[in-house]
Amino acid sequence: MSMSANINAAASAGPNQKAVSPEELLLKAPRERAFMTGSEAVAEAVRRAGIDMAIAYPITPQSESMHLTGDLFAQGYIKDYYRAENEFAVMAAVHGASLGGGRVFTATSGPGTLRAMEMFPVWAGSRQPIVCAFMCRGVALPPSIQPENIEMAFLLDTGMIMFHAENSQDFFDFILAGYAIAEQSEVHLPVGVFADGFFVTHTREVIMLPPDNIKLGEYNPDIAPIPPFDMEHAPMQMVRDPLLNKCNFVSYAASASWHQEVLAAAERARKHINKYMGGLIEVENPGADIMIIASGIAVSQSRDAIRTMAERDGITAGLIKVKSIRPFPAAEIAQATARASAIVIPEFNAGGWLAREVMGTIDNNSRVIAGPRVFGGMSLPGEVIIDVIKKAAR
Amino acid sequence: MKRSNLDIRMAGLGGQGVVTAAHILGTAVVATGKYAVVNPFFGAEKRLAPTESYVRISSEKIYDRGEVMYPNIVMVFDPQVITIGKSHTLPFHAGLKDGGLILVNSADPVIHDRDKAVLDNIKAKVVYVPATKLSVEFTGSDLSMNMTMLGALCGLDDTLVDLNAVMTAVEERFSGKTKIVASGTSAALDEAVKSKFEKMGAMIEKNRTAINKAYEYAKRC
Amino acid sequence: MSKNIITPTKEFEDVLTPGYKDLVANGPYNRSAPGTVDDLGSFREITEPHPHCAGCGVSLGIRLGLASLPSPENTIIIGTPGCAYFALTQSALCYSCTAFGNQNSVATGLKRMLKIRHPGKVKDVLVMVGDGGVADIGLDYTLHSWFRGENIATVMLDNEVYGNTGGQESGMTVEGKVLNMAPTGKKFPKIPVFEMAKVAGCAYAVRTTVASPKKFGTAVRRAVLIAREVGPTYVQVYTPCPTNLKFSPGKTLEAAKDVEKTYYQYEEYMTEEASAYLSRIGELKEAK
Repeated sequence: MSMSANINAAASAGPNQKAVSPEELLLKAPRERAFMTGSEAVAEAVRRAGIDMAIAYPITPQSESMHLTGDLFAQGYIKDYYRAENEFAVMAAVHGASLGGGRVFTATSGPGTLRAMEMFPVWAGSRQPIVCAFMCRGVALPPSIQPENIEMAFLLDTGMIMFHAENSQDFFDFILAGYAIAEQSEVHLPVGVFADGFFVTHTREVIMLPPDNIKLGEYNPDIAPIPPFDMEHAPMQMVRDPLLNKCNFVSYAASASWHQEVLAAAERARKHINKYMGGLIEVENPGADIMIIASGIAVSQSRDAIRTMAERDGITAGLIKVKSIRPFPAAEIAQATARASAIVIPEFNAGGWLAREVMGTIDNNSRVIAGPRVFGGMSLPGEVIIDVIKKAAR
Repeated sequence: MKRSNLDIRMAGLGGQGVVTAAHILGTAVVATGKYAVVNPFFGAEKRLAPTESYVRISSEKIYDRGEVMYPNIVMVFDPQVITIGKSHTLPFHAGLKDGGLILVNSADPVIHDRDKAVLDNIKAKVVYVPATKLSVEFTGSDLSMNMTMLGALCGLDDTLVDLNAVMTAVEERFSGKTKIVASGTSAALDEAVKSKFEKMGAMIEKNRTAINKAYEYAKRC
Repeated sequence: MSKNIITPTKEFEDVLTPGYKDLVANGPYNRSAPGTVDDLGSFREITEPHPHCAGCGVSLGIRLGLASLPSPENTIIIGTPGCAYFALTQSALCYSCTAFGNQNSVATGLKRMLKIRHPGKVKDVLVMVGDGGVADIGLDYTLHSWFRGENIATVMLDNEVYGNTGGQESGMTVEGKVLNMAPTGKKFPKIPVFEMAKVAGCAYAVRTTVASPKKFGTAVRRAVLIAREVGPTYVQVYTPCPTNLKFSPGKTLEAAKDVEKTYYQYEEYMTEEASAYLSRIGELKEAK
């Protein structure tokens, strides 16, 4: 009863925002300059996302964004919000809330991501358009709260769509685009929006924001492949083992075809990613002999390296910024590297997952220099990337 | 025109306003049409534990992120950063560029001979400003030490940023017009600081006074 | 849910299976009389065979529980992997079962979202899972949903063993019992979840067995009603497992009756607020 009272209080204090289409909010609305951190940019996205419910659990470096999301609840921008007991509980409750047919948001980091791991394939298998922000950090090799994005490697095959933000601007845009893409009838998959912790979350920079008196229109659960669990529709079963889970070919086939459909739905997201995010990749200096392929903050460090090299050394290198990790832009990358003699892949993790992804999809892998890599919180100065490029050029 | 970059590293102790000083400087720079990127040291901040923040300033878009490893300016908010190495970056001048500036909050010299030799070698300029003392003198409290440090920095380099823009940034920061949360801990400290000054207006005025007077002080250095 | 939602148009009637027609004609929705264990109904999802072992106490518990729902047409059940899953997937209610142990978190999110999207409407969210799901892997989620005061009814079908995975010790197994993963006998007593419910914020809690169907039926009905308006509720029902506890499938009720004399004595707990609520809606008299 106390909870209902909270909801009502929040609703009555609700701000007067006009519901608009994703095209209007993301692509057409005029934008103004703001100077803010990535965490604040997340909150500005949440403010404009028309979210029904958000659930939080603290972890560095995610916490500030979910504090601010809580403030938005108190101000009436969100209809319900609470702090759950741990990340598995958060991701399970977000799943439950999404089953109820509303729009939900949460965020986590590193160890929280791993603790909640079991729920991510459940979201995808349940075809839920949940958007979750991941503020990437070290996990436990050894324990670290510092930035690195090894957790993304663990999530590559959860069925989730994955976007990697370079900076606060991307973080803001990709979260809102995430809802627009996830809620397409033919997609209906969870979207993870990843940013490198601290480098984005705690860094204050200029970003361009649409006005705060507009927001995404209400989510319509009736266009979902699975109707909401609300007993307003014919009842259905959402169980992790399709049919009855013992051994028979029909149950294997049902499970396999359901899984294939999850993968196919991610493929169908491509055209919407093109529309709302301007493509799965962005290319600078196309056709250069040396191409850098990077995602997240490694893109910014690569831009710094490319500019310094051009100014100081007269060397031109190209850059492929990979925005969508799932679906993976294999064909786009193959085409953009077709004429390159060397491909440098700087990363903020020890495993080199992006290099593996690229090498699994392009020809002539002897061109690939799978590095440089930093992790454990290290910065990656442009000079380090320049060193590698110069060696490649020799 | 050639791209001009200026990178600043601010080192101090948690609660001294190192992050806030960086934020105000960055806000002022951006307001005057230049580019700035500001970030704290990447870690969980604790009162009186080592804290660093970084300000990158440029005439063009800034891509580089993370800790400033090769600063043009190092600001030391607490002598303990130097005397007992209470600092994330050791030694405190690590990576300082040739001809760089070191601004230390201390009435007396605290730099060891060994470090002095290194700094002489790279033709670094070292300036001591008793910023805590000035804060008490100008505002009746040591809480505006970060502002006297900022004012002194502006006084030492007039080309850095327009002082009026700094004054506006101070108002924005403390008036609550823009909701700024550097971290949960610093938000909680804000509340404590506010109650000490009682009124927001008085706080803004005192901070402005601190900056102005420290600016004048540094001009005479 | 209105029955119209599942009622076929005239043109389609003849192509639908007998099972579906039976669901529409005799299904659990919008019954005129409140559901009780006196009338389990004739509808398939409760009366037809399902893939449980002979003499399964869990399947009996689920039948009795489903027959006692005050408003099945507005009920959603959240489960967790385990034996209970087999019967619950055959119920004609919305049923979700995903990761093991997450049930009270899923129910929390769902219940809150239904309040947002359907204010003023009855939407009962019932958790119905085994002892391993509540007392072991899901204990913190269960307790936290109670601490937070979520409007959820939780039913533990306690067969004192992990049945679906092949007879392993659970936290609800009695001390000394030899089972898989307890080769020298369990080393600690049953986890006192019923006592924990009282201190963790449940407005209503009952401990009973399937050998007392009326008491169990009333408990489920009250638990759902009180969860709607007052706060979290808990029903712990003993549903013995002949396969893993090694007794004859014909002796399930006997096994349940036996423990009623010792550690499974009937107990009903309710707060004053819950009692006043039941009294107000005319639900208190029938139990006495």
